[in-house]
Amino acid sequence: MNGGRVLRFPPRAMPPEEVETSADRILALPPEQRIEGADAIKLEQPELLLSVCARLHERLDASPATVRDDAEHLYEFLRIPARPIGLFDEREYFLGELALIAGTACRHLSRREEARLWFDRAEGPFLHTVSATADLSRLTYQRLAVRMEERQLDAVLEMAPPLRESFEKLSMSIDALKVGFLEGLALTEGGRLDEAIDLFRKICTKAESLGAERLAAAAYANLTQAYGIQGDAAHAIEASREAIPILKRLDDRIGLAKVQWALAGMLRETGHVAAAVESYRAAQEQFDQIGMRADVAALHLVIADLLLDLGEEAAARQSVLEALPVIQELQMVPEGMAALQLLRQSLREERIDRPALRELHGYFPEAT
Amino acid sequence: MRLQGVIRSTLVSYYLLTPEETDGAEEDLLPWFLRLARRSGSSPMPPKALRLALLSAACQYGRSLQMWKLGGRRSTDPRLDDVLSREPEEFAVDLQMRLDEELP
Repeated sequence: MNGGRVLRFPPRAMPPEEVETSADRILALPPEQRIEGADAIKLEQPELLLSVCARLHERLDASPATVRDDAEHLYEFLRIPARPIGLFDEREYFLGELALIAGTACRHLSRREEARLWFDRAEGPFLHTVSATADLSRLTYQRLAVRMEERQLDAVLEMAPPLRESFEKLSMSIDALKVGFLEGLALTEGGRLDEAIDLFRKICTKAESLGAERLAAAAYANLTQAYGIQGDAAHAIEASREAIPILKRLDDRIGLAKVQWALAGMLRETGHVAAAVESYRAAQEQFDQIGMRADVAALHLVIADLLLDLGEEAAARQSVLEALPVIQELQMVPEGMAALQLLRQSLREERIDRPALRELHGYFPEAT
Repeated sequence: MRLQGVIRSTLVSYYLLTPEETDGAEEDLLPWFLRLARRSGSSPMPPKALRLALLSAACQYGRSLQMWKLGGRRSTDPRLDDVLSREPEEFAVDLQMRLDEELP
């Protein structure tokens, strides 16, 4: 006879109202009090962990830096010592889910190496959940999103359709739509704007029919960007008007900053250079408040380019100088090292090598 | 309700749990199953996958409890030995297929 795993028979579940209060309490505690607080609250209760994970998911777009720290802390709390959690696969599920959340937050913060490490951490536990196919597909989506952010456009366009089909087979319609986003972004970045617009319009319609308003708002934000690049101000503004009220209501600060970025792009394409600079700066300030330093740095380069158009060379140099240390620190453009060196050299000579500047900011995706 | 019946009869008829043990198993499985249905992700798990997960969990539960009761000894009932020798997930797939055939 095979050896069997003897299950632990768990204590009774927490009442729902206690779960909600405890989830808020644990996330409100300062980090240094978390371990003690977690023990007192009995954080290893699966009902409570489920509620905490849901809250972290909700906050990803508003406060990725805080979510990353919270997820890491909770992951470590569950990992060492190896606490028993709930029944069957629940320990593996929560370890995988918290690692996935931490990795997603790192991706939002452009800490891609760290994101990859968290995604690797999620994979092992997810292999042992009863929902492994769905969980691993969600993980694959995040890995593909990292590729998109690294502008591996061909890889995204190759891998997105099978992943979308996988989600469709699992009846995970929202996740399937999210994969469509990556395809749309790759098409936009590849200059295939008509195809991108067609795809994002379909996503808007489908997301609205599913009642997925966050996704619909994000699709309208991407439409704003694509129309903006085409210089189609009327459609860009129309799309932004669909996106902004929903994003505000959901406190989706990343989404709002991206719409601002897209509108700035539209102003640039339609020749309103000074207004574009102001709009880019507004987006930059929003990204700065969320802690998205990579986007702040990317926008410094875009702004510098426009300041040169306006004849403001000293301000342009200052803008580039603010970007370079962050680009270096986050290793944002390993493929753009030559352009980075040329730009740095030109700054030492108190000028800006404009082709190098444009090549460098060309490595950053527009408002993805 | 039909699924609940299948789970109960699996635990009683195949894993030979007592009615009291089966009541306890149902009490433990229900909250786990409700949590499974609420797991994070943009889309809920499809019903068929949820059903297989519940069957698999029930088989794992029945097998673990019965093996614990036997304390490593073989059962005197060869049918029970046969059931216990099978992986719970594999046994659950068989039950799912039977259930699929019965559904209209």
